[in-house]
Amino acid sequence: MESHQLKPIYEAIGQGDMRRGQTECDKLLRKHSTHQGALALKAYVLAKLGNAEEATTLGQQVLHTPGALKSSHVLQGLWLTFRVLHLPELEIAVYNTALVHTPNSEQLYCKIFMAAARSKLYKDQHAAAVALNKLFKQDKYLWWVVTSLLMQAKSAQDSSVRQLQLTLAERMAEKALSEGRLTNTEELRIYLEVLELQDNHAAMIAALSTSGPLAEKIANDPDLITQWIGLLIKTGDCKQACTVAVAALEARDNWADYKLYVEATVAQASEGEGPVKAACANFDKWAAQRGRERGAKLAGVELTIRLHEAGHAKPADEGADAVGERIWSYVDQFMTKAICYSDVMQHFVTHVKSATASGQTSGAIDFHAKQLEQRLHNARAAATATKCSEDAAQSWVSLERIRYLIQALADDVDPQRWVADIGAMLSFGLDSDEAEQKLAACSDMTLIACQRLILAAFLAYPEPEQRGLLFASLFKVVCVLEAGIKMNDDQFLLKLYAIRLYLYLSCYDRARALYDTLNIKNIQFDTLGYLINGHGMSLGCFSTDLELCYDGVSFYDRSDARIPQELESAYGNGTYSNITDFTTFRDNLTHSVQRECTHRCALRGEAFDHGTSKDILEQWKEADAVSIEHTDETIAALHDNRDIGVMGLQTPVDMAKWNLEIMTRQIPLPGSAWIKIFSMVPQIMHYIVCSEIELLEAKIGDFLVVIEEAGQSVSSHDLLLARGVHQVATLYLRAQSGDEGFDGELSVLTEVIIGALPPDMSASNSLDLCDVALSTIRTASVATELFTLALSVKHALSAQRSPSANAVTLGLSQIRKTALKLVGGLRTWTEKPARESIDALWMNAEDPLLASATTFLLSRRKSAVTLATKGCVGSWLKSVNNMAAHWKKCT
Amino acid sequence: MSTFRRFRAMDMFRFNNINLDRYTETYDLSFYLTYLSSWPDLYIVAESADRSLMGYLMGKVEGKKELWHGHVTALTVAPECRRLGLGRGLMDVLEVASEKTYDCYFVDLFVRPSNVVAIQMYENLGYTLYRQVIDYYMGDGVMPTEYANDMRKALARDVDKKSIVPVKHPVSVEDTFFA
Repeated sequence: MESHQLKPIYEAIGQGDMRRGQTECDKLLRKHSTHQGALALKAYVLAKLGNAEEATTLGQQVLHTPGALKSSHVLQGLWLTFRVLHLPELEIAVYNTALVHTPNSEQLYCKIFMAAARSKLYKDQHAAAVALNKLFKQDKYLWWVVTSLLMQAKSAQDSSVRQLQLTLAERMAEKALSEGRLTNTEELRIYLEVLELQDNHAAMIAALSTSGPLAEKIANDPDLITQWIGLLIKTGDCKQACTVAVAALEARDNWADYKLYVEATVAQASEGEGPVKAACANFDKWAAQRGRERGAKLAGVELTIRLHEAGHAKPADEGADAVGERIWSYVDQFMTKAICYSDVMQHFVTHVKSATASGQTSGAIDFHAKQLEQRLHNARAAATATKCSEDAAQSWVSLERIRYLIQALADDVDPQRWVADIGAMLSFGLDSDEAEQKLAACSDMTLIACQRLILAAFLAYPEPEQRGLLFASLFKVVCVLEAGIKMNDDQFLLKLYAIRLYLYLSCYDRARALYDTLNIKNIQFDTLGYLINGHGMSLGCFSTDLELCYDGVSFYDRSDARIPQELESAYGNGTYSNITDFTTFRDNLTHSVQRECTHRCALRGEAFDHGTSKDILEQWKEADAVSIEHTDETIAALHDNRDIGVMGLQTPVDMAKWNLEIMTRQIPLPGSAWIKIFSMVPQIMHYIVCSEIELLEAKIGDFLVVIEEAGQSVSSHDLLLARGVHQVATLYLRAQSGDEGFDGELSVLTEVIIGALPPDMSASNSLDLCDVALSTIRTASVATELFTLALSVKHALSAQRSPSANAVTLGLSQIRKTALKLVGGLRTWTEKPARESIDALWMNAEDPLLASATTFLLSRRKSAVTLATKGCVGSWLKSVNNMAAHWKKCT
Repeated sequence: MSTFRRFRAMDMFRFNNINLDRYTETYDLSFYLTYLSSWPDLYIVAESADRSLMGYLMGKVEGKKELWHGHVTALTVAPECRRLGLGRGLMDVLEVASEKTYDCYFVDLFVRPSNVVAIQMYENLGYTLYRQVIDYYMGDGVMPTEYANDMRKALARDVDKKSIVPVKHPVSVEDTFFA
């Protein structure tokens, strides 16, 4: 009967038609006003329709109706309601209430467990697990208890509570182990985690040394073997660590085990030569086996370095160059592999740094420079010979990378030395037979050449008055990068640098086109979105940037829904090792810097949506001013998942002075100050349109403090915008209060906006190319955004029937008129003189630093120059056209 | 030099040097997490001495009776880590687990016919073309629509090597699903 009555509602819900679902609920409720099934389903459709308050009230009403949860329809309707509303406590209350009618229901307890696990309600999770374990006595539930205790302990603030939970978890797991109920490595991992949190290394070793079927599973699990060796070292049993490591390395090559073997060997070095000799013999033996040369040889280098550091070098190896020679011996053997440089980079750094510590930096640098010289000469000769092998090409690339590193370690600030040999590198990278064959080494060589050119440009032209020269140099690098991309479209690093440099020159459109070819999606929105996201807002391309923001927002929303489901699956499948990992992953994504930036950017972009004044006001009214509020604590809790290490740097990331990722940022990477500022702007606008004067006054006071404290952590253009927004808010406060002084505020705002617009072309008829690349488009974008916000204020004043509304309207229409003229002038310049300026000032200007690159480009890659010129001019034009169109529509 | 270990969800924050390669798909999050929660021992990553990720393999086991097999869902190696035998090493982990832990009959995988380097590697590892799957790969604006080569390698349990007898005609995607 009940099912029959509810059928039309279910049908509507099944078709996703919530409005009809609500109508059907109401229809049924008119006949049977206390029909609990209908009420529960109505709560659900209301939740789905976004009416959270009514849905919650109705849901709670049904929940507290005695006997209501006897019905499976009510149960389902209610838990779904509270799931949609993200109210896990109430969802759990539904199950607990249902348990009164269906005591000992395994399904209900499981639902409580999962709901609690999804929402980090570990106490409820634990209680459900205990009940399940007691009632159904399955091993799975035993491990649910252990895992929930572990999670509770990890989140506990009180150390005694934490210890109690860990002890309980340990005892349960220990008992399971002794009873043979710990049967797989997933359960073992949880037990090990419980022990590790208590620093109980001895028990961990005992668990890993277990016999029986589990021992075989441990032996086949490289992670556990590595953990075991590490634990033996921690407990001082280095002899046994060596034994386990050797057994593991006999079975499989694994760098983590090599490193631990070296560590255990060095720890025993003071006891005699035996362990070191044994390790060397093992390394030699393994190095002789096919496919194992690299690991064993690198372990030998590692051992030599570590023995030196620990003061255990053999007399024969005590020479200052002994470590260096081992490194070079490795390079000689493996420089034909692209990975060679990554293998040895840190060893070079360590060697030079340890020499620095003993006051011998130049000795180490000179040694390496000398070692490099002849090898580089030979490699270059071999690679540029008539028929070059892939190995020869790769060897040259490997040595070029080492040369780059040594120059950085030597703190070589002479730009000329950084561009020496660029001509040869470009010829090989772009103009050789091997390049035609798309040899990976050629693209790598082009990349290294570009990195050298960028570095040289920044070293040569550090002063603000040298911007023109810097931009000219960077433009040439863009040309080289375009040539490289044309030659080999697969090399994503060339595209990453091209994106970065185009943005440096204020060219969004071409940067975006290249970004789109990288097919960045899903989790990459969080890690790589920063490459382009937000730049459109600063360069007049508001709507295209907004589309990308929406893609990002949609990814985050999907993730919020799916990760908890996967957490459930991990419990269900008994893959407990994922629990901590998934939980940490979810925290990182939920509280991600890029997520905040994406959401703020989306709100920023929505301000440019055109509609009636009513639409615009409605949009700001609906803006959620509460959830985007940030405090120092919420900012500190954010995780920065942005992958800035993806740029293929030739130096370690921590060598900031040589870090090209940092160097090529035209504007600072958005951080806490940026997030605070762009969280406050929509709040300010919300308070304006809602006429919340006190809240607005307080907010703009805080806003000013944030602006003042931001310093150089946000770009000058963002600061200009922020100050402008403050002025917009001040104007509103004066105007709405009827203060006659509001026209003074209007004048100030007018001055700010017009001052940010391009210069009057009818007066000077010329624009500085450097200014365009640096700031003209960026400031025009600020003016456009400020005007858009000011227009919202005008609409708000009109809606609030403020007597000042007309004066503000008049003032804004004057600004618009001027803006249309000035932006039109910029468009005229961009359409023609811009191209000529690039030719004259960037490409053909005399520039001894990049002379060989210029010659190469003009003689061999003119098409790339044309492409880069089009890329710049086309991008500027797109930005200007977008802004012009926006000003036109802003009536 | 590389460390082979289990892939972790946190690795997704730093696998771009691998996934920016045009042949490597970046799937929806739940795809990776489902593999981790279902077959954590068949999702292996290789990490370099400097802790950067070098390549990874996502695998699973599926099928019934004589179709019970290991499947390579994704195998990818960062450009700078190629020609080191990493692909072989990762495949070896899956093959050993498929044979020893899961007692499978064969291992299979799908590959774009245009990815000749990968096909060559699989052939060297003993995989042969079993069948072609029509329009298995859908174009996404960057990569074109392509059919797939379904390649297989028989394991010890398939004594008569029945699992790798080639199918003459291309099949549709639906025909590749295992119940």
